[in-house]
Amino acid sequence: MTLLSSFRLWCLAVVLVVGSVILLPSAPSTWQTRVAHLETLVKCPSCDNLSVAQSTTASSLAVRAQITAMVRAGDSDTQVFTAIERAYGPTVLLTPPSGGLTNLLWMGPLALLLCAVVIVARLRRR
Amino acid sequence: MILSWIGRIGLSIGFLSAVLGAVNQLLSARRGRRSWALPAALASLTGIAIAVGAMQVALITHNFSLAYVAENNATFTPLLYSITGMWSALEGSLLLWSLILGLLVVAVVVYYRRQRQDQVVSYATMVLFIVAGFFLLLMVGPADPFLLNPAHVLQGAGPNALLQDNPLVAIHPPLLYAGFVGFTVPFAFAMAMLLSGRVHEQWPIEQRRWTVLAWGSLSVGIVLGSWWSYQVLGWGGFWGWDPVENAALLPWLTATAYIHSVVVQDRRGLFRVWNLSLAVGTFSLTVLGTFFTRSGVLQSVHAFSSSTLGPVLIGFFGLSLVSGLGLIAWRGDELRTVVGVDSPFSREGIFVMNNVLFVGFAFVVLLGTVFPLLYQAINGVQVTVGTPYFAAVAGPGSIVLLGLMGLAPLVSWRRFDATTIWRRARVTAWTCVASVVVLELAGVRHWAVLLVVFLGVAAAGSALRTLANNVTSARRRQAPWSVLRSPSTAGMVVHLGVVILAVGIVVSTSYTTRTEVTLSPNQRTVVGGHTIGFYGFGKRTTTLDSQTLVNVTVDGARLQPAITTFSGRSQAVGTPAISSNLLRDVYLTFDAVGQGGATSGAQVQSDVPVGAVVLGVTIEPLLSWLWIGGLIIGLGSALTLGRRRSSDEVNG
Amino acid sequence: MRRRVVALTALVLVVLTVGFTALLATRPPIDATAVHSPLLGTMAPAFSGTSLNGDTVSLQQERGNIVVLNFWASWCAPCKQESPNLSSFAWSQRTNHVKVIGVVYNDTVSSARSFERYYGALYPSISDPQGSIAFHYGVTAPPTTFVIDRGGRVVATLVGPASQGQLSAIVSRL
Repeated sequence: MTLLSSFRLWCLAVVLVVGSVILLPSAPSTWQTRVAHLETLVKCPSCDNLSVAQSTTASSLAVRAQITAMVRAGDSDTQVFTAIERAYGPTVLLTPPSGGLTNLLWMGPLALLLCAVVIVARLRRR
Repeated sequence: MILSWIGRIGLSIGFLSAVLGAVNQLLSARRGRRSWALPAALASLTGIAIAVGAMQVALITHNFSLAYVAENNATFTPLLYSITGMWSALEGSLLLWSLILGLLVVAVVVYYRRQRQDQVVSYATMVLFIVAGFFLLLMVGPADPFLLNPAHVLQGAGPNALLQDNPLVAIHPPLLYAGFVGFTVPFAFAMAMLLSGRVHEQWPIEQRRWTVLAWGSLSVGIVLGSWWSYQVLGWGGFWGWDPVENAALLPWLTATAYIHSVVVQDRRGLFRVWNLSLAVGTFSLTVLGTFFTRSGVLQSVHAFSSSTLGPVLIGFFGLSLVSGLGLIAWRGDELRTVVGVDSPFSREGIFVMNNVLFVGFAFVVLLGTVFPLLYQAINGVQVTVGTPYFAAVAGPGSIVLLGLMGLAPLVSWRRFDATTIWRRARVTAWTCVASVVVLELAGVRHWAVLLVVFLGVAAAGSALRTLANNVTSARRRQAPWSVLRSPSTAGMVVHLGVVILAVGIVVSTSYTTRTEVTLSPNQRTVVGGHTIGFYGFGKRTTTLDSQTLVNVTVDGARLQPAITTFSGRSQAVGTPAISSNLLRDVYLTFDAVGQGGATSGAQVQSDVPVGAVVLGVTIEPLLSWLWIGGLIIGLGSALTLGRRRSSDEVNG
Repeated sequence: MRRRVVALTALVLVVLTVGFTALLATRPPIDATAVHSPLLGTMAPAFSGTSLNGDTVSLQQERGNIVVLNFWASWCAPCKQESPNLSSFAWSQRTNHVKVIGVVYNDTVSSARSFERYYGALYPSISDPQGSIAFHYGVTAPPTTFVIDRGGRVVATLVGPASQGQLSAIVSRL
């Protein structure tokens, strides 16, 4: 088997594996997984930087109970966050509210990525 | 009283010697005056040692006439925690920093004593004296560790509860500081090369082993810090993207880029601007780190108390970065090279990608850390930037870096040679695919885990292949130990450590499960395949602390999570218990008790029956791989001492 | 050309560094004791509950009175210090349409009752088993006190043990 054909065979194997990872069914999303996910996005109000998912202080448990109650009542993610923010202030969300200056936070890495691509692409024998 | 004056005199001697040394080195560089570097360095170190000695005596003898001792020590503080009390708070931490820096200056001056009249060595020593003088000036002025206590106290407050819980307090800060301080040397020599105009010389190459040791020390320091957090903070995590943690990560990122980039300068004389910039950047970031830790501007569980040092420290950061960048801009012309990088996928090209990724990574972490301050300055509202953001940006970056680790040892210098790469990569490539298939069949579905395993096996495969080649060459030369002299041995061992660490991180964060179980005495339950049994409470009181223990068995092994209250401090802290093996960690916390148990210090939950306990059980697979990976990284860095010097290289 | 790229990049970075340094140099340190509750000026969240004596207490029925709402727990040391102050305050203001209401924070009913009896509380406290009242008020640690005016708006938040003097001063301004 030549080098080229062995490489092609390997590429095929990789494509098949990637396909299997994408196509295989993942665990279905339930209200519990939604609650667990939301809990990782809210900061424990009386800790320095733990999420309520990780902390066991009384304030975290109260927030978790509230998230569970609201998710079971069918509220949307935005409604949950708004309620928590009303009670504890904007610092309680682990990501700043979208819009305005927060775009810098997300555009910054993208801009740097672009710079990186430009720098590498310009590497050619002069 | 006397100790206070001895300490202050020591600091003044240290400071004055550093200033005089800097002036002397400047004159030596510009006017060829005789260099008094060694006497000045020794005098400065003596002054610092006197101050450190005075503080240690005060701490060990529990001398509360010093305010610092009254705040960080008590009569019942054990010897170990009295000694480490020196760096438990702000002013004393500067003493430790200065001590390590003083030792380093002496070491550098001794190492270069034969070249002490050389202009580059003089300028570099001048910069070292200036930095040492700065930190000593902080202690002579605003951050005086020897302030007298106006009140006459019979008992001190004792160290902070979390700083007397674990002997790692004796290892983690010194290792971290050794790393930070170590990067003053590349900075000093970079500035010296720029000031003298001799930018084409090989000083960074010659200093590589010391730079790698500083990097290794910082790496192990950071990993130990994570291990310490893991053991005491009670949530089973090891990294919180806390501002102070980020402050230690930033110079580590640029330092990693630096130690790789210097390899290219060694081989082909390229990357001079990169290397000078990375040296300047790394040092500036260590100063920025001291700012985050000591200014009180960002909320952090690791920060020292806030002080007036903020503006001074950030000013020094600005000064060092601006002067470094300015000098680079000024000398830009002389930094031109005739040759360039030939292809993005040559070895040099991969190293450019490496540099760009690490620096970009550092920029993004810095952006996230400082963003709340920017937001507040502009919008007047306080916000938080936490783990979701950092994980979202660090994850993809780390994955690409892992891929580069796998690719770099396989590619050739100067050109992109596909056939050679594939020939070298074939075995590893098929092993990667096989590993992923095996995991998928075993039920692993998280795409992140599969991707990291794929790339990790690739990186490990490349590293092992290189090591195997080194061993074969060594055997052929009939000198098996000469494998250590090969340039790539130490680096490949470190890469293996990084792969183990990366796999540990991604598997534990993807598959951690946390449950709370309520158990009555002598009751058992099964959580995630492990049998947890509760056998009642216990109490243990020593002079230092008092603990309410919970007697638990995990699969038969006995553990005792507890709530600890330290004498002298009212805060009660949870003390987790961990059952650890190669496959998983079972992490237990004493979360709450039933009614009537308020005296234990634990939270009381009304719906829990009397005498019962609520335990937090966190099961984290492969968590011990983080510490094993960290250990291998440390060992690999130490192996660099065996590497043959660049001057001995025959064929490169 | 190379020199210009290097010089330009360095200049941009120098400008960024200066701006960055200026930003950080002018940031004030975080004051751990100051708390700006997001509820200030807004309508106080409604609540109702059973007091430890068995009566029903609700914010709605206190419309027209000034309400001093205090979150406490039997295991909280500063609360022990604060309780007699609150009782004195409640007694002195009993004819001024000022009501002190306590809310038990993360504690058992029996411990709370013993605490109340031991410190001779002269104001009713309600239990909050799920922590939902504490949640809606954003309470992170006891003792935390809210002063609510006659129209139902939150006008002051105090974190830490409140003294009689502090409360009297706030109430006299309403």
